[in-house]
Amino acid sequence: MKKDKATSGSPIVLDKAPARVKRLIVLQQFPVNGKAVKRLAQAAYAWLDANKQTVNALNVFPVPDGDTGTNMSLTMKSAMEEIKNLPEDKADDMLNALAQGALMGARGNSGVILSQLWRGFARSVQGKPSLNSKDLAEAFASARDTAYKGVVRPVEGTILTVAKDMAAEAEAAVAEGIDPITLLVRVLQAAKDSVNRTPELLPILKQAGVVDSGGKGLSLLMEGMMRWVEGHQVHTAEALAQPIAAINLEGTMDAVEEGQDYEVVVDFRPSEQLDLMRFYSDLEKIGTSIQVGEGDGMYRMHIHVPTDKVYEPIDYTRKLGIVTKVAIENLMDQMTEISAKAGKAPLKFAAVQAGQIAVVAVAPGSGLARHFAELGVAAVVEGGQTMNPSTADLLSSFENLPTDKVIILPNNKNIILAAKAAADVSAKKVLVVPSRNVPQGIAAMLRHNPKGDLDAVARDMEGTLAGVQSGEITTANRDVEIDGVKVKIGQMIGLHNGKLVVASEDLETVSRELLKQMGAAQAEVMTLYYGEELREEEAKSIADALRQAFPGKEVDVHSGGQPYYQFIISVE
Amino acid sequence: MASDLTSHGSIHISPRAIATVAYQAAVESYGVVGLASKNLLDGFSNMIVKDPAHGIEVHYEGEAIRIDMYIVIEYGTNIKVVADSVAKTVRFHVEKALGLPIQEVAVHVQGLRISEKG
Repeated sequence: MKKDKATSGSPIVLDKAPARVKRLIVLQQFPVNGKAVKRLAQAAYAWLDANKQTVNALNVFPVPDGDTGTNMSLTMKSAMEEIKNLPEDKADDMLNALAQGALMGARGNSGVILSQLWRGFARSVQGKPSLNSKDLAEAFASARDTAYKGVVRPVEGTILTVAKDMAAEAEAAVAEGIDPITLLVRVLQAAKDSVNRTPELLPILKQAGVVDSGGKGLSLLMEGMMRWVEGHQVHTAEALAQPIAAINLEGTMDAVEEGQDYEVVVDFRPSEQLDLMRFYSDLEKIGTSIQVGEGDGMYRMHIHVPTDKVYEPIDYTRKLGIVTKVAIENLMDQMTEISAKAGKAPLKFAAVQAGQIAVVAVAPGSGLARHFAELGVAAVVEGGQTMNPSTADLLSSFENLPTDKVIILPNNKNIILAAKAAADVSAKKVLVVPSRNVPQGIAAMLRHNPKGDLDAVARDMEGTLAGVQSGEITTANRDVEIDGVKVKIGQMIGLHNGKLVVASEDLETVSRELLKQMGAAQAEVMTLYYGEELREEEAKSIADALRQAFPGKEVDVHSGGQPYYQFIISVE
Repeated sequence: MASDLTSHGSIHISPRAIATVAYQAAVESYGVVGLASKNLLDGFSNMIVKDPAHGIEVHYEGEAIRIDMYIVIEYGTNIKVVADSVAKTVRFHVEKALGLPIQEVAVHVQGLRISEKG
């Protein structure tokens, strides 16, 4: 058989095969007799075996069944032994032997389920030396039923679901009077679609950014059959790119290798069909931790490289097509930063389930980031008045979250636009609750309901913004007079909802006057987040002074860690 | 009772709690179609139980925890593989849920269920 070149896993559609070849195969092998069953099964096994490492790699970390691809392949291998020397005239005999071999050689959970599928398939075709479309559809249904009987509580989003979807497609196809070959083509497509849907059904898959391994194995068996029918090779795996969203850049920090100092991510649009096998092998000469994602004709390449090769991945991809975006990060520097922070407990963000709403908040300091984490945000982007995060920073904070519903709290009026841009660019459904400062963000966060309807929750959160009294105290960096308040450079100024209301050399005076303006007399609780320039004792002594100035009111003080602002204040 | 002394006091985990976790893991494990009371030898041979305390026994031997499971397997599956797999799954889930190491999970296949003739 001629070895065809890697075609990046484009869907196999029979129509694409030359009509002559197609007709020849159909005439020779169908309706499906014993010989055809054998050839199809052998092709299925060969293709699964060639791709078993891909399937193995799909495992969701510490589950017991950790080598699905190998297990399914070994199960099929045992089935192949059983049919090797069998007379080839009868389809039912062939399938019985196949099922028997799969049962005897079943390995692992996935192997047992696979053997049950074959058993159900074989059982339904008893007494039939060759199979037409209707027989095949009934066999797929019987395979599904037998497999489902083997478990008390079937888990959806697994190989069982894929078998179910395949059977449903076969039943639909036979109702349209389709020939056996086209039926199998449609079942394959249904299997692939079903595999891609598994993360929607099983949250643990979505969290890990993978599809179900057993389902993928089953889909590969079908794909092997159809590759053989169309005359493609089935013995060598073709490198497949994962969907861009599945690239997990978070975890790559754990695997920083000695000497690989830089992380380079390149987005590009190849000018012609990308030969992934060659692409991978070329990249392996440059660096490590290679990941390639594909989506919509665009590719994203991720690689770790040593300092002297920082620009090589970019130069290389430029030869292949149009480079649309490049990001380079110094890993060693990040590692140092991480180690430096290691003394403090890491932030614990809310774990979002698929379908739930994730909130991403921009926080100007570590203390505020922690506070937002405690309130249940799924991610925090560092940024504030003087360091506005980019659209890309915002985007990357939620792109890897296992949900497609996101709310952004910009918490600064200068970041609202970037947040809206991120919302526009993302494929997820992203809404911006335009909080103009941190107290607004905190108030909005208190109304968050991860399980609610996205629009309703965002509306509810936005509804709180207008009622929030926010105060900020910072140092004036020039002489100015606004709204009748004279300010000299170096004085501290108090802003009420962004409006300048007081200026003084004395922080305590500014705090007290600002709080008066904010209606502290009618409030119950005042919360002060002190910035990185203040020491805890200073912040606490000011809080004591405020308690005297506003007797009976509760004054809470927290470390906000924000730069430039001595205090960020909210009043409730 | 498994005990753990923490800075706040001690935590006791009852055998029944462990059995409940083991039961949940077992019924989601492929090939297991039910748990059988150990007393089934006395004549209740078709009794498939819903109560986790039947069909699962949790023993403490000093610090060590041992789980005995009495299961019914679907006829036609590879019994050894199913039994291995349920032992692994139960150990994994119990250890994950409780944070306690399990010394042994012993699986007793009490019967087979035949869903279909042929």
